[in-house]
Amino acid sequence: MNVPSEHLLYLSAGLFALGLLGFLVRRNVIVVLMCVELMLNAANLAFLAASRQHSTAEHPALQGPVFAIFVITVAAAEAAVGLALVIALYRLKQSAETDAAAEMKG
Amino acid sequence: MNNAYLDGLASIAPEIVLTVTALGALVLDLVAKGRDSVRVGYLTLAGLAATAWFLFGQWGQPSHTAYGMVAIDQFGNFFKLFSTAALAIVVLFVMHDRRERRHGIGEYYFLLLGALIGIFFMVSTGNLLLMVLGFELLSLSSYSLSGFHKGNRKSAEASMKYVIFGGLSTGIMVYGISLLYGLTGTIDLAKMAGSANLVAQVSSNPIPFGIATVLVLAGFAYKISLAPFHFWTPDVYEGAPTPVTAFLAVASKAAGFGALLRFLGALFLDQGGTPLGEYGTRVGTMLALLAAVTMTLGNLAALRQPSLKRMLAYSSIAHAGYVMIGIACMTRGGFTAAMYYLAAYYFMNLGAFGFLVYFEGVTGSDTVDSLKGMGFKAPLISMVMVAFLVSLTGLPPTVGFYGKYLLFIEGVDNGLMWLVVVAALNSVVSLFYYLRVARALFLSKASDQEAAPAPVLTGFVTVLGVATVAFGLYVTPLQAWATKSLDLIRSATGS
Repeated sequence: MNVPSEHLLYLSAGLFALGLLGFLVRRNVIVVLMCVELMLNAANLAFLAASRQHSTAEHPALQGPVFAIFVITVAAAEAAVGLALVIALYRLKQSAETDAAAEMKG
Repeated sequence: MNNAYLDGLASIAPEIVLTVTALGALVLDLVAKGRDSVRVGYLTLAGLAATAWFLFGQWGQPSHTAYGMVAIDQFGNFFKLFSTAALAIVVLFVMHDRRERRHGIGEYYFLLLGALIGIFFMVSTGNLLLMVLGFELLSLSSYSLSGFHKGNRKSAEASMKYVIFGGLSTGIMVYGISLLYGLTGTIDLAKMAGSANLVAQVSSNPIPFGIATVLVLAGFAYKISLAPFHFWTPDVYEGAPTPVTAFLAVASKAAGFGALLRFLGALFLDQGGTPLGEYGTRVGTMLALLAAVTMTLGNLAALRQPSLKRMLAYSSIAHAGYVMIGIACMTRGGFTAAMYYLAAYYFMNLGAFGFLVYFEGVTGSDTVDSLKGMGFKAPLISMVMVAFLVSLTGLPPTVGFYGKYLLFIEGVDNGLMWLVVVAALNSVVSLFYYLRVARALFLSKASDQEAAPAPVLTGFVTVLGVATVAFGLYVTPLQAWATKSLDLIRSATGS
């Protein structure tokens, strides 16, 4: 069975929209970070789909997959730093909700 | 093959020196068991000096590309030199910040150097992968730096907000890049602009390309705190340690502008008449609208801030709006004016933050009220601060005035008269809150607080103040430099 590349792009757009929606409505910082991961993975899927479309038998388009690998690394680094900061905030406020981080206003 | 590899190493010598310095700082801190952070600071300064030396060595070299990714050109050099100088000043701030501990803060310098390496790669590449990686290196270091005071509630909150919004912007930008890759089959900006696929796409149905461009621009907008991606700015700037705030407001923001200029320059500059060029004009109109919103929001919010630190945060949002006037022109002249203004912004904003570091150390507070009468106790640094404020407002005879003058001229020349009027009105508004600080310093009754002298800090803040006025009176060199730097933007990304 051969899935057309356009379908993969639609799927990635759907994932991206889900991630964005989750980012906007969820209150828990950890879930928010998960939504960011979802958006990054949507981008990865789009990279791979686009690479498949641009590849020919003689010339595989490798930039897309390489970009995706780097994005995975970046996502991991971001999650590591993000979670460390969540722990620091949790120690101070005993909460990982975004409302806990709302002291500064104006 | 082997030779090309070695030549490449020579081309990225400044970056290598920085990396070695960063690792050295980390090791030195470990060996000294965190007992002697001042020595780590001196090592950092030495590394920055060596980096600057290598950067000067690349001065006037023909533009070329190392490893097919890193563009070594005057444009990148312009931003690299300013960022290196800015970081050196930030390191001096850290070393002379009275509120900072003397020991156990060696990672501070490591993280600052890491952020600088990110800036270096981000401003000197036409390859979107390397740009994203530089962007992320800068962002990750900045997140940790803004949360450096772990026990401080504001600091923890600032870093939390920064990491959440930063993650969002990375996600949006990377998705936009994936769409651009889908449309063109390349992640190299120069090849993208020359892609026949893209030109055909833009002439027949520009919507996909439009969506991709807007998504990528959103990532940059976050870094330069352009509306509507500025929400994080005041909170992060207020909560972060003051030297870090100075770094974010000056070096990080200018790097965002550098990468943005390269992105827009490679895709839309000098494309007059082609479908891509016409599309660039439309992008320019969108950016002009955002510029107007950004400067108005920033200035109006700055008016009602009791805290000097938060006021400077909003003022930096407003200044991002001014710089956008030049970028929205989408011409070489406009880009040059934007670069000149960024250079001006380095001097005056770093100086203002240096003043803030000093007074936070003295009074333990960052409110404008606590500055009352301080002009009589620390006359030199206060007078220099007034020079920075005058420059930030954009009054002569300072570098800020000439920068704004250039931006306004370019705006009028390129049919953005309405935007220039908005910006001029905004400058009048900004006069109120900048002068409030000057009034507190010199026209209010002195409090009984003692102002302890800080000769080194006062010294280099004064140097920045002299530069602010000197470059305002003698404008040619900086302008020539900005023009020359921009000349090479395209030739380098093309090779």
